[in-house]
Amino acid sequence: MTITNPTAKRPKAARSKQSQTTTTALLFLAPFLITTLIFFFYAFARAIYYSFTDFNLFNTPKLIGIKPYMDVLADPSFRRALANSLIFAIVTTTLQTVFSLLMAVALNNKIRGMAFFRSAWYMPSITSSVVITLIFLWLFQRRGIANYLITQWQAYQPLILTFLGVLIVVQIAQVLWERSRKLPAGWIDPALAAVSALIALVVVFILNSTGIIGLREVAPYDYQYFADKWISIGNVRVLSIPLLVIIIQNTFTTVPTLMLFFLAGLQSIPGSLYEAADIDGATPYQKLMNVTVPMLRPVTFYVVTVGLIGTMQMFDQVAVIGSAAPQDTLITLAFYVYTNTFKNGAAPVNMASAAAIVLALIILSMVFVQRKFFVAPEAN
Amino acid sequence: MTAIQAERRAAASNHDAWLSRRRWARAGWLYVFMLVMSFFFLGPFLMGLLSSMKDNPNEYPPKVIIPQLTAQYVSRAYNLGVQGGNSGWNGGLTPGREVTFDVSVRSPADAPKDAPVVSLFPYQPVSLVAIAKQAQAKDYAKLSTVQVSQSGETKVYRTTVSYPSLTAQTGEVIRAKLVTPDSDVKAQLPGGEIVKVTLDTPAAQAKQYELSETQRVELVKAGGNYYLRGPLFERTPMQVDVQRGQSIVNSTLPPSDKQNFDRSFAFRNVTPGILGYTFNNYRRAFNETMDPKSGRSLFFSWVLNSFLYAFLRVAAAVVFCSLAGYALARFDFPGKNLIFLGAVLFVQMVPSQVNLVSNYVLLKDLHLLNIWGLWLNGFVAAGGVFLMKQFFEGMPKELEESASIDGAGPFTTFWKVMLPQAGPALIALAITQFQGAWNDFFWPLVLLRQNTDFTLTVGLSSFSQLYGGQGDYGLILAGAILSAIPVIIVFIIFQRYFVDTGSDSAVKG
Repeated sequence: MTITNPTAKRPKAARSKQSQTTTTALLFLAPFLITTLIFFFYAFARAIYYSFTDFNLFNTPKLIGIKPYMDVLADPSFRRALANSLIFAIVTTTLQTVFSLLMAVALNNKIRGMAFFRSAWYMPSITSSVVITLIFLWLFQRRGIANYLITQWQAYQPLILTFLGVLIVVQIAQVLWERSRKLPAGWIDPALAAVSALIALVVVFILNSTGIIGLREVAPYDYQYFADKWISIGNVRVLSIPLLVIIIQNTFTTVPTLMLFFLAGLQSIPGSLYEAADIDGATPYQKLMNVTVPMLRPVTFYVVTVGLIGTMQMFDQVAVIGSAAPQDTLITLAFYVYTNTFKNGAAPVNMASAAAIVLALIILSMVFVQRKFFVAPEAN
Repeated sequence: MTAIQAERRAAASNHDAWLSRRRWARAGWLYVFMLVMSFFFLGPFLMGLLSSMKDNPNEYPPKVIIPQLTAQYVSRAYNLGVQGGNSGWNGGLTPGREVTFDVSVRSPADAPKDAPVVSLFPYQPVSLVAIAKQAQAKDYAKLSTVQVSQSGETKVYRTTVSYPSLTAQTGEVIRAKLVTPDSDVKAQLPGGEIVKVTLDTPAAQAKQYELSETQRVELVKAGGNYYLRGPLFERTPMQVDVQRGQSIVNSTLPPSDKQNFDRSFAFRNVTPGILGYTFNNYRRAFNETMDPKSGRSLFFSWVLNSFLYAFLRVAAAVVFCSLAGYALARFDFPGKNLIFLGAVLFVQMVPSQVNLVSNYVLLKDLHLLNIWGLWLNGFVAAGGVFLMKQFFEGMPKELEESASIDGAGPFTTFWKVMLPQAGPALIALAITQFQGAWNDFFWPLVLLRQNTDFTLTVGLSSFSQLYGGQGDYGLILAGAILSAIPVIIVFIIFQRYFVDTGSDSAVKG
């Protein structure tokens, strides 16, 4: 207080008012500061300390230098956890950002019933990761709904492909016809597409009832998702199939929330920008890439930051699936920390702490790098 | 000249019609897209909800139209419940009652003409708690099967399940629970009084050593004595087998399970009532986790714990997050920026796994590995402080200035002037905290060590460890749906605020 405080030069009354304000502020902040000090800063410091000791929950910790970090780096399951976490975070963040942006653009229309759709789509975001993981475990069983839908897709493939083929041919024919009449029809003109879809539907129906095409006989699709299966590049196991299911699940649950962020951002873009783009004759795609995306940069920054912080800490899904999938396919850094802390007998808590510190450093440097290089100057 | 103008006008109006047609078509496609996406986002939940009512949620191919939601079968389940347990809602089989159940068997010309073999089979649930062996309907009820009609190759057989009372005494019928016997069988009446149970018939005496404690029974009070009428059954599982060549074409309720090339049908419960039929898995979630001694269901405890934890978190957040947020927004004091950066922003970026060991050891030493320790661990959420700071910064300063002219101190100003203005922000804070606490998994998993202390999320994951391995997804899905309901209700009521909190922080952050 007294060292370089400018209030020291002010009259006594003002100084005592300032110190009174400080006292009040600290009183207001006390519950927050005290619990944060104990459960965060003290805990953080202890984790750093433990990560340099031989602590195993039962002994008195003794400093042993950086050996725990070396042990952790040499541990194959830590390396797997690190790879899984990074891949999961990068893939999921990319997917959820792109999908939520696209969905926000689709939802940013003033049509009737929008409120209903917004609420309905929000459902996956409000329920807990545990509930959704359990439902996904059930959906992705060997004889589950996911495989059933794939079987159906295979069975209906001739009909669906015929439908799409006829649709495209009819659409091209129609657009060419309209253009020959000097009407400015685009390739995906919605009215013509509706007519094309109708014609394609009728054609498929006729072909099906005359028996020219029909359902295929296919065996039930029996894919075991929660097994030791990997997508590899060369000899390197990159992404396991169980992790892929969790990526789908996580994207599914986070897209609705992130979509709301984008929606709020979209609604704050001045309409005059789009009008100007219209005058310049921009296509919808050009408008998206040259107006919407740059204007949404601050929101995108936020969404990516939140996404990275969240996905790097992925834990719930792994813990819930537990022994239903081989451990290597799903282990993440957060889960590695947890299992090592609660291992039976003398748990390698020092290694768990070291891994936790590594995890924290990765997240902090991700946020730092992003802040440094990816934020548009106008956003600050 | 006029002809050209008319032509142009016609072309212009054509062009307008052409454009408006496009607008309509575009809206149509948009609706189609949104409907498809709604199926995608709601589909897993709706399918989970539907399947949680099935006898076998893993049936393949999965059906969408199920007997459990068909008026005809639900009303039959109700009738069977009335016949067996005098309750169309709860069902069950009680002493002195009879239930009739029809099965149609088709016997082609070259097949045997035998009547089907009908029998009852036992049901003993797998559970997270130790459940004493319960009496089984098969040991008490008698079956008789007669042919009632015939049309062509199909004969209809009527099976009567009758459960005779173990005593001939009549009088007031009382439901009670058996307690640890001494030389006599003893039962605890609903009022808590423990009485001796008289077994006055050979049939009753034969069962004396088969009845274990905590068994629910029906007694009859006559002349100051309590006579045993018999145990109460929640389920009456029945099995029907036919000969090779024969087939079962119809039955009062559809079978829960078919085996042996469709010659053997199992009915998990022929006295279900609506609860036992449509909501069987939901009832199981509560009943099969019931500790028979205390009569308290684990699942129910988890629900209560989750509510308690969510309530505590919300209460602490509303008071302390707004205090801290207000101080950071309005007071000027040294170290303010440091506190904001360090304790609010930095805290949110560091993963909770870093604090795992220290907080676990600390709370263990304080003997606080329970809900209260869990509460203390996340006492004042940094995210909540951030939210409230943003809110108070956006409020006009005039309010406080007029309050301080009136001589109100900072605390009075905050409590009487600012907090009442903060309604919407407080609701948003409460919702995010409620949702966060209700869905919290990591800290409860770490800190709660006894299954009676679990919150729903941890409890559900222990469900899945136990039942998932044997593919009993009915119970898991029912538990998952039940645990999602409170958040969905909160969401439906406070929708507007959910959307607001999200977008506010994004635009400002």
